[in-house]
Amino acid sequence: MFRRQLMGSVPAIGGLASGLVAPAAVRAQQGRGNTLVVVTTPEPTVLTNAINSAPSVAELGTKIYDGLLEYDMGMQPIPSLAESWEVSADGKSVTFKLRQGVTWHDGQPFTSADVAFSLLEVIKKFHPRGPGNLGPLEAVDTPDAHTAILRLAHPYPPMMKGLSSMECPIVAKHLYEGTDIRNNPANNRPVGTGPFRFAEWNRGSSIVLEKNPNYWRPGRPHLDRLIFRFINDPATRAAALESGEVDVAFFGTINPAEMRRLAGLPSIEIARGGYEALAPVMLLELNTRKAPLDDKRVRQALAYAIDRKFIVDNIWYGFGKPAVGPISSVYAPSGLYTDDVLRYDVPDRVARANALLDQAGLRRGAGGIRFEITQDVGPYGDDYRRMGEYMRQAYNRIGVRLNLRTVDQATYVRRVYGEYDFDMTSGWYVGMGDPTLGVQRQYVTSNIRQGIPFNNVARYSDPENDRLWAEAATETDPAKRGQIFQAIQRKLVEDSPIIWIMEMELVALQNKRVKNLITTALGVRGGLYETKLEG
Amino acid sequence: MQGLPTIFLIVTFNFFLLHLAPGDPASVMAGEAGAATPEYMAQLRAQFGLDQPLLVQYLRYVWNVATLDFGYSFRYQESNLSLIMGRMAATLLLAGSSILISVGLGTLLGLIAAMRRNRIEAALILLVTVLAYASPIFWLGLMFIVVFAIQLGWVPTSGMVTAGGPGAGLGHWLDVAHHLVLPAVTLSLFYMALYTRLMRASVLENLRMNYVTTARAKGVAPRRLVLRHVLRNAVLPIVTMAGVQVGGALGGSVVVEAVFGWPGLGQLAFEALFARDLNLLLGILTLSSVVVVLANLLVDLVHSIIDPRVALS
Repeated sequence: MFRRQLMGSVPAIGGLASGLVAPAAVRAQQGRGNTLVVVTTPEPTVLTNAINSAPSVAELGTKIYDGLLEYDMGMQPIPSLAESWEVSADGKSVTFKLRQGVTWHDGQPFTSADVAFSLLEVIKKFHPRGPGNLGPLEAVDTPDAHTAILRLAHPYPPMMKGLSSMECPIVAKHLYEGTDIRNNPANNRPVGTGPFRFAEWNRGSSIVLEKNPNYWRPGRPHLDRLIFRFINDPATRAAALESGEVDVAFFGTINPAEMRRLAGLPSIEIARGGYEALAPVMLLELNTRKAPLDDKRVRQALAYAIDRKFIVDNIWYGFGKPAVGPISSVYAPSGLYTDDVLRYDVPDRVARANALLDQAGLRRGAGGIRFEITQDVGPYGDDYRRMGEYMRQAYNRIGVRLNLRTVDQATYVRRVYGEYDFDMTSGWYVGMGDPTLGVQRQYVTSNIRQGIPFNNVARYSDPENDRLWAEAATETDPAKRGQIFQAIQRKLVEDSPIIWIMEMELVALQNKRVKNLITTALGVRGGLYETKLEG
Repeated sequence: MQGLPTIFLIVTFNFFLLHLAPGDPASVMAGEAGAATPEYMAQLRAQFGLDQPLLVQYLRYVWNVATLDFGYSFRYQESNLSLIMGRMAATLLLAGSSILISVGLGTLLGLIAAMRRNRIEAALILLVTVLAYASPIFWLGLMFIVVFAIQLGWVPTSGMVTAGGPGAGLGHWLDVAHHLVLPAVTLSLFYMALYTRLMRASVLENLRMNYVTTARAKGVAPRRLVLRHVLRNAVLPIVTMAGVQVGGALGGSVVVEAVFGWPGLGQLAFEALFARDLNLLLGILTLSSVVVVLANLLVDLVHSIIDPRVALS
């Protein structure tokens, strides 16, 4: 319980800190050499992101492992372990030409056998998003040591957006073959081909990575060492950044109010961008199988009643922008996004909400209350509780009484995803490199799976919508695919099974002496091989 | 000898108490991953042994503990014993130094407060003890960080060693000591206040005793009287209380370790609780209770040395 109390105390502490004296300068950085220290939370439980997709595991694993591809800021693929690639005319096979002369951190050569083994035996079986990312992948042919041909059961364009070091890190076949993969010792002593190699793990405090001197990108990485520090208390993390002991604080380590204050200090700035490969959207899932939320008009009224701009500016301190539908505008460069949907941000939205509830036959009773619902607050920090408190006010204006319920993550997952014991719940989802990979799971009938977290918990089911998603998964013509996604967005926004609130900006905070932190769509979940320190 | 049944009862009580918590480690791990498939969940549950009946899980656990097998944490992919031992040293260092600081300072301040009764020093000491006694420990910790780490820059904000600093030798130990100052002082304040009050009362009580009058009458110098006679008697309640503090310091270190990023058992227990890694948590609680039982044995021993009336049977 006191984690929550600690968090509650943070803004007060921060205010006091800034009020006292000017912050001390760069003492803490002296004598550290060319070493970048980052803080993240929580401490990873395992160091191989091939078998665990938790955010901090991905942040770490992507420094040690490479993927076949990387993605530029517009999510277009760029070479990594694959130097070039070609999709066949029927869309059912993709040929990757692999980089030559790449070695694992233990000196063994990297070959196409590693690619085949990683994709089929590790990622597809053990990575939580593996089945989605690799979908119809059936076989990988390896005609020679530097060619890998991926054979698909049917065309699957989204796969080309999910082959990064975050989603499909390539692991060493010689370390994993014939072992119990989930309990392989290499999971905690990772051996990759990436820019940094594992040096030591001081449990509870830090993980030290050192430069891979044989990295295949000549002259990279710039840093000699990269140290991950783990500090449980958010106020202390902010203090460590302020004192210069830590150079970069990843997203989620410091709460938004404190981020604004720290960004105002002369030595610290916000590192924007680098979440395009995640496309995160913050939202409210509704239990569409439970009265009165089974009525589309009621769900629309609840969507109208919320002022998204107010939430972005006041709860999240501007780190995001209002969402209009299920698909984030970061997909706009790929032509998959539209804002030509039913808009819930119209000026007369409260009047419309009241009218819809009247039509649904939910008249105001004693005290002006039409009905009462409960919001299970997502267990991701204090901001979600404060957003719930705002919503309680907003829903009062349309005669809906909102109760808030706050529990820890284990209890939350059991209650919401295990027992469907909820009306409305707040949370955030990542759309990944393509809507089929990350967004689809929340809306298609086949993904209504009780007990499995982060699927279609709204239990929304519509045959037309299912058909559109199925078409989108296999359509190879980008223009047609864009049209399908526009139709999906219009349909879902109209049916409103989920209330989309904000496209999140997963920004990091950095000391100003850090340069080139964000260079690809993966941001701090990339290799950081271009990152350097100045001064 | 009553140590062993005590530990058995603690194990049994903890086991059933912890299994009352809703949610299981598989759902937490899937929750952290942000995605899951039914096969992934089933894999995890089988691995954790969660597909077995509760009684079977319990009997298996008691047998394992009796054979000093604390199990394997699938979450951390390491044996629970090695995870716990890796953190035990950090916690014992923190708790040990905070006990030394609080006993030492508390005894000294209490003695001064008693000897300088009705003087400004005594009033100041009592004021400080009230503040130290009443302030929430995490708030004090954060305030110390703001003042001593950020503004004055005397000590680091957090951690046990400088990231990438000297890994061994004298430099390493100086580095650890540098990091230890704030958390140890923070954790010691509450008990320091307690000891000061206890010591003051105890000294005042002893000063009224007949043996003091006798000593004065036979011409013992005031300084020698206090140091040789009064101090030795007055310190007995402090020693008793120090045994209690061992348990308190282990509990309080959860908060202090979180605030100062100290890589000790408290943080591991905290993470294990939220992750429902119950075997790991049980291991921590069991071994902590062993430490407390041993510490109390030690206190009994010290008692018998200071006070000849107490005999070890």
